[in-house]
Amino acid sequence: MHAVVCVKQVPEQNSVKINSDTTIDASGITPIINLFDEYAIEEALQWAEKNDGKVTVISLGPDDATDSLKKALAMGANEAILINDDSLGQVGAQGAAKVVAAAIQKLGDVNIVFCGKQSTDDETGQFGPALARFLGWPQLTYVFKVHELTDSQIVVDRALEDTLETVEASLPVVITAVKDLNEPRYPSLLKIRKVSKQPIPTWTLSDLGLSADSLGGTINIAKRTPPPPRPSGEILSGDVQTQVKELVQKLIESQIL
Amino acid sequence: MSSEIYFDKDQELFRQTVRRFVEREINPHVEEWEAARCFDGRKLFKQMGDLGFLGVSYPEEYGGAGLDYWYNVVLAEEVGRADCGGVPMAIAVHTDMATPALAEFGSEELKQRFLAPAIAGDMIAAIAVSEPDAGSDVAAIRTRAVRDGDEYVINGSKMWITNGTQADFITLLARTGDEGGFRGMSLIIVPTDTPGFHVSRKLEKLGNHSSDTALLSFDDVRVPVANRIGEEGMGFMLQMQQFQKERLVGAIMGNAGAEKVIRMTINYCRERKTFGQPLIDNQWIHFKLCELLTEVEALRQLTYHCTRLLVAGHDITRDVSMAKLKAGRLAREVADTCLQFHGGMGYVEEYPMARYFRDARLLSIGGGADEIMLGIIAKYEDMLPRRRK
Repeated sequence: MHAVVCVKQVPEQNSVKINSDTTIDASGITPIINLFDEYAIEEALQWAEKNDGKVTVISLGPDDATDSLKKALAMGANEAILINDDSLGQVGAQGAAKVVAAAIQKLGDVNIVFCGKQSTDDETGQFGPALARFLGWPQLTYVFKVHELTDSQIVVDRALEDTLETVEASLPVVITAVKDLNEPRYPSLLKIRKVSKQPIPTWTLSDLGLSADSLGGTINIAKRTPPPPRPSGEILSGDVQTQVKELVQKLIESQIL
Repeated sequence: MSSEIYFDKDQELFRQTVRRFVEREINPHVEEWEAARCFDGRKLFKQMGDLGFLGVSYPEEYGGAGLDYWYNVVLAEEVGRADCGGVPMAIAVHTDMATPALAEFGSEELKQRFLAPAIAGDMIAAIAVSEPDAGSDVAAIRTRAVRDGDEYVINGSKMWITNGTQADFITLLARTGDEGGFRGMSLIIVPTDTPGFHVSRKLEKLGNHSSDTALLSFDDVRVPVANRIGEEGMGFMLQMQQFQKERLVGAIMGNAGAEKVIRMTINYCRERKTFGQPLIDNQWIHFKLCELLTEVEALRQLTYHCTRLLVAGHDITRDVSMAKLKAGRLAREVADTCLQFHGGMGYVEEYPMARYFRDARLLSIGGGADEIMLGIIAKYEDMLPRRRK
């Protein structure tokens, strides 16, 4: 079994500061692996270990995205590939999915792709489904548990809004992972040192037979505004019995009760 | 601070890993461990051993990573940011206080039997130097190890021993000769399952509640002479060397904890409003917090200077004594100032400030009190009064 995990390097949320003009202060940002991608890595590692398979991690990003790929290698992935090209700076989720799909096709022998359900920076949630579309493979989104995974079949639970849905699919397949799918392992110090010098090849668009104008529109942030302030709460008055009665009435009116 | 000037990418990844470990495996348990007056050393040390955290700079043949002390700095800085002082102290005792002499001067057999399992997290280590009548005054210890054939017979007691109720072995400083003062002492490894070894009492302390501290007694405890680290009579010297790493790791952890509390206080003062404005808007408050951050930054540089000296093989005694002294004093100042700025919230147990106030006080006492540090610095600066003949 050859599993690919798509890894996006994102800013650690509490390291992001917003300037007074609502632009982002890039200094002091700590880059980390996207939260949901860590669950994807862990799941891929667990099943690769069970099936005697291998895991390749792929990231599309600037040169320093190799930091996240190194972490994935230190967690146990076998190989890593960085896709970096000057023309990919403003690529949208669909364009990124097209590029990564081409990389997976170039690898050739991939049975399954694990992604996080969304990234914690752009939060579009489009990448996994778009990747499945470009590969022409089935997609299993919001995967909460993987029951079975063989070279030909997968059985998973999908976490939907108010129900768990058990789904079977044939391979190859793209799955997107939700939080708490597993408990991502820590990279050990030994492995951090071991992968330190492991080379990570960089593929460009031309390596993948693609050109920048084939990737669809780019997305630019035109403006950022803070959300409107929340309305202040209502404080009930009167004795306790009156307050409770009024509170219950309001909860019923709001259809909470 | 732009830490990439000091640490490479591997060290930063290690830092990220330790930080996450502290957030997930230590902090969620702190309340429970504080209440129980003991942390789960058996589980925690095994987890840390599996990840290579307990043998960062120890040789690879004993399961260590064989790296330079900068990795220890990263570990100490991140563990020092935990939500309590007790667990970081317990870890530091294991990694930097009870095992350095064993690693450097222990026999091959001793290292295989005790160092390797300590690095793996299968054994918990404690260091036993202080006694009821001899704390910082190490030369006054009275616990004796009398030679009987191939064995030492040990009698005496040891006080304030961190990890004392959980330890699998104790690195014990005892008198093996009749010379007084600092002569005639040896460092001996004592397995705690040896007959005659007792935990007399678990001590209730002002702070560091999550760490178990014990009064230990030795009643005709017999251990092989082969359990001695280094040559007989060299124990005081070995312990003095070992103390330097203890003081360095103490200063690093103390500084990391102080910075965390200052930043917590900055956030609190931003949110807390009095007289219609955030507390932080008062010049007294933001000036004072800036002063404390300046002290933290200066101390950080002193600990990095000590690390550079250590890695280059220099004697760090003078400089690390300064770092330890400064760390203890600064921890007290940070605890007092930040608690004051928290007001009533600093005095209640539902907020972490009160715990830091209690825990921070130890740094000026443990590992050699402030006054001992001053004495060492005075000696190195040739300021001690001449002895009269």
